[in-house]
Order: sequence, then C-alpha cells, then structure tokens
Amino acid sequence: MVERLDLSVDLGRGLRLRSPVMAASGTFGYGFDAPQVDRAALGAIVSKGTTAQSREGNAPIRIAETPSGMLNAIGLQNPGVEHVVRVYAPEWATWDLPVIVNVAGDSVEEYVAVARCLDGVTGIAGLELNISCPNVQRGLQFGVDPGLAAEVTRAVRAVTKLPLLVKLTPNVTDIVVVARAVEDAGADAVSAINTYVGMAIDVRQRRPGLSRGTGGLSGPAIKPLALNAVWQVAAEVRIPVIGVGGIMTPDDALEFLLAGAAAVQLGTVNYVRPQAAREVHDGIAGYLREHGMADLRALPIRFSSVLTHA
Amino acid sequence: MSTAVERTSSSSVEGPGLDSPSPSGGGQGRGLVVERSVPMAGAVELVVYHPPPAVAVAPGQFFQLAVSAPHTILRRPYSAAWSDPAGGLIGFIFNVVGAGSAWLSTRNEGHELDLLGPLGRGFDLEGDRPAVCVAGGLGIAVFPGVVQALIARGRSIIVLQGARTAAQLLPASRFAGADVQVATDDGSAGHRGSAVDLLSNLSFAHGTNLPPPDGTNLPPPLRGRVGVGGCDILTCGPTPMLTALIDAAWRHEIPLAAIQVALETPMGCGIGTCLGCAAPRAGGGYILTCQDGPCVRADRIDWDRMTDAFHG
Repeated sequence: MVERLDLSVDLGRGLRLRSPVMAASGTFGYGFDAPQVDRAALGAIVSKGTTAQSREGNAPIRIAETPSGMLNAIGLQNPGVEHVVRVYAPEWATWDLPVIVNVAGDSVEEYVAVARCLDGVTGIAGLELNISCPNVQRGLQFGVDPGLAAEVTRAVRAVTKLPLLVKLTPNVTDIVVVARAVEDAGADAVSAINTYVGMAIDVRQRRPGLSRGTGGLSGPAIKPLALNAVWQVAAEVRIPVIGVGGIMTPDDALEFLLAGAAAVQLGTVNYVRPQAAREVHDGIAGYLREHGMADLRALPIRFSSVLTHA
Repeated sequence: MSTAVERTSSSSVEGPGLDSPSPSGGGQGRGLVVERSVPMAGAVELVVYHPPPAVAVAPGQFFQLAVSAPHTILRRPYSAAWSDPAGGLIGFIFNVVGAGSAWLSTRNEGHELDLLGPLGRGFDLEGDRPAVCVAGGLGIAVFPGVVQALIARGRSIIVLQGARTAAQLLPASRFAGADVQVATDDGSAGHRGSAVDLLSNLSFAHGTNLPPPDGTNLPPPLRGRVGVGGCDILTCGPTPMLTALIDAAWRHEIPLAAIQVALETPMGCGIGTCLGCAAPRAGGGYILTCQDGPCVRADRIDWDRMTDAFHG
C-alpha cells in the first residue's frame, strides 16, 4: 500500500504540474467559462490559440459531429495577445492553476511578437507553440516542415524564458522527424497531437458540413492514431511528451501514460462531460495505488519489453 | 476561480454592446423522465424531474442533453419548452432529426437523463406592450413557457404558429390566455402559408406603417393599441422563416430592436468554450449562440450573412 501518491509532473524549465491532466487548447477558452469543471483535478490549462491581433474566426458552420468525433473549423477566434496580457493574465496570477498560452501565427515574426508580449508576464506559466492549426491559411505550414518547425521554435526560444511546449500536427508523413527537429531547436516538451484534417458533406444540402470545407477531427475517433503518434515520438525524444487526442476516460489517459506520455490533455471530452478531468485524475490515482506505484515515473512501458511481445 | 473578468470568447473581438452579463452556466445533473407524450405529429415531449434544489429556467434558455446513441459524442441543445420550478419539472419538445434525437425520443418514464443547464440567455419579457410570438415548425417548442411567463406579467399575447400541416401544430390549448392563429403550408388548418404571412396581416398595429382604416379588424389583444408603440415580436423557427420575418419587418417598418429571435445553430459545448455556435453579428464578427443567445435582439444579427451560413 502506497502511503502518499505523487501525481506531479515536471515538464521542464520549472514548469511543474500537480496533476498530469491538462485542458487542451481551444477546449477551455481562457479558463473563465465552464464553471462546472473541477479545476482541482487539473494540472494546467492551455489557452485558446492566441495571435498578435484579434481574430474573428471562420464563418459558420464551424463544427460538425462525425462518427465518434467532431470536426471543427473555428479559425483561431481570439481577442489578441494584448488583451490576454492586460485582462486575463492578472486574473490567472491569482489562481493556483498554471495557465499555458497557446501561441499561433502566420509568420515567424508573428509567433515571435506574441511570445515577446507574453514573456515575463505574471500569471503566464508557459507557452505552447501552435504549429498545427488546420483551420486557417498557413496554419499548418510550420508544422509539416521540420525545417520551418525548428526555425519558429528556435526564434521563439530566443525571446522567451518561459517553458516552451510545441504542439505537433499528425498531418505529416513522419511526426518523429518534426518532434526531433523542435527538440533540437529548444522545445522543453511536445504536445502530440493536434487534430487530423477531415471533412464531412451534408448530402441533403449538397454542400460541405463545414463552411470552410475541411476541419480538424478530434474525439475518440482519433485516439488510436494519437496514441501511436505519442508512442513513436516518446521513443525518440528526450523531452516530455504530452498525449492529446480523443481521451474520454481514465483508461484512455492511462494508455497514453503507458505509451510514454508524461502528461495528457483533455479536449473534446470537456464539451461533453465537465467532470471528466476529475474522473481521469482519480482514475490515474487509483491505478497507481492498485499497482503499488508512488508516482507516474514507473508507468511508461519499456519499449524493449513490448517488442518481445510483438 | 473568478468569473468576473470580461468574457473570453468574444469580448474584445466583439467590442462593447452586450446588453447584460451572460448568466453563469448552469450545473450538470441527472434528471428523471416522468412523462413521455406526443404533443403533435412527428414530435415528442419529455417531462423531466430535475431534483431539488430546482433551478429557475428563464423562458428561452436551453439545456445540453447527453445522448448515448452509438458513435455520437456531443450533447444536444434543447430549449426548455416550459418549466415548473416548484415541482422541479422541465418539459422538452423536439422531433427526430438524427441519431441523438432518435435516442432521446426513445426515453420513457423512469429513464434518467444527463442535463447541463439551464444555459444561455432567455427572452427579455419585460415591458407592457402586446407580444406577438411567431413560430415555424419545431420553433413552437420554446413558446409554451414563454407565453405562460408573459401572461403572468399581464401582457397581451398573440401566437402565430406555422407548420407543414394541421397535425403538426401544437394545440392552442398549450397557450391558454393567448390569441392563437395558425398557418399551414397545405392549408389543412388556418391560413394557407406561413406564420410570417400572419404577421404581415397584423403589422399595421405598429402604427409606423399605413394606419388601418379603424383598427376594428385587429384581434382583441391589439384592439385599441394601434399607434401606441406597437408590440414586441418573439420568434423561433427555421432560418428561411426568420429571414422572411426580417424582410417583412423591413417592409412594415417594424424596428428590428422590437424583435427577439431564439437562434438555433450547430452547437458543441453550450458553455462558451468551443466557439462552434457562432452567428454573424451585425457590424462584423460573430456572437455565440450559447452565451450571447440563444435569444437575441434581431438587430444584433447580420441577416445577410446568417442566410449564407444557415440557409444558402
């Protein structure tokens, strides 16, 4: 029987979370909505993707449900970084929950400008570089090219002392190559994965289900794909990997932790079950207890031991 | 956590102009279906007992109902048709449009429902002018509670209800105390045409248009009110009906500020985080149906872009 459980996670550069359960970018706003969620179960919130200027987002229709998943094409609707620094950050500073700002942009210059604005601001615990948004023009350009991914990571690294996470897109031939590139460029951790580009068509109206045509697929439909991506990346980088993609239950989260993730992000499930963060947190704690583990470090399955089963 | 900060999703994108702070999101809980009935052809009504402490539901507010149909994940947004806070009861009226509503339609007495709510803003029912409720199709589902609340405020009410055919009309008995006029596409009951046609017939009541000869052909609630400030219009229905109503309002010089619309858009979370339920805002940008609505003043909406998104 383990006396004291330690669910904390070290994501590097002093970013220590009390819980491995995070709220994924775009599914929790800036933390002010969703009063139904039990925040004590969360280790951190990742904000909505934030750009240099405010953005209105895409024309509706912006979301569509698909089998065991949902497509979204929100288009980075956000109030802009200055608003975040001036209005939200002072509130965050009073919370006992770290807020990581998801940073998006059209150019290296924009990423750098946003990161500069956020650096040294009280209330901001870290940055997550969004090089993987499929729903704006040029949203994916940095994420699908290892050279550009490294370039933007390096440029942002140079202007911030904050812990730097990079959120990877699965819409690539080999996600490991991109993960290694951003690691070498100075990322403290990677979040894997953002949504898969997908599509739905309204056969009655004979038009795409989303006004933009395509969107990003999330939810349980992508979980096995996300898990594979995390498994691949975790085996090849030394920095922490944060598992994201279709996690709905404690067992889903445990799969990612066993595959090598240091922490997990809950996304789509936040829309459906506000109590999910609490359930996942408690489920992980229960699993550790059941297996006589005191903390999360013993969870990842050794790669070689699995290969023997293969 | 503080929620006293400016709204996250749209505050600075939107700029000023929201009439009042959005009500904080309702809680999540379990309800018990105590009655299932068929209030009109093609629709189902579920009466749900939401255990105390009963929450007050403002007419026009909605709930996100969890569904357990295979391969679905999102909750389904439904306006409360009516509520009885003292008895802890909430009524929902809906039709089957997909897997989620099909699953809901099979809920019966004794089944549990997972509800999140009440959410969003309801109708603004203040004032003493006559109120005209214009509903098309299942848009009528929001009005039993609205009419009840208006009557409790002593207001005169006309309900203009349109449906494809007579069997799909919610019976006038659900609107006790209101003057109910109906229209059907096939002419099987009332006026052959739409609820908006019925509104056009009434529109001279606003006094801003050509005055009627003497006002005697007005229904009782409006008789004697001609030219004294007109009435408030509350509406819900398919986008083509709404845009027809807006066109009629322009024609009859009814100010859009006198019209409140219960919006229906695709919805993800219902609590302001997913930004999926955007509706085009007058002057640019978007409002969120779940937080700025679902009940909004018609002058807050850019109807040209609304048509493109949800109609065209």
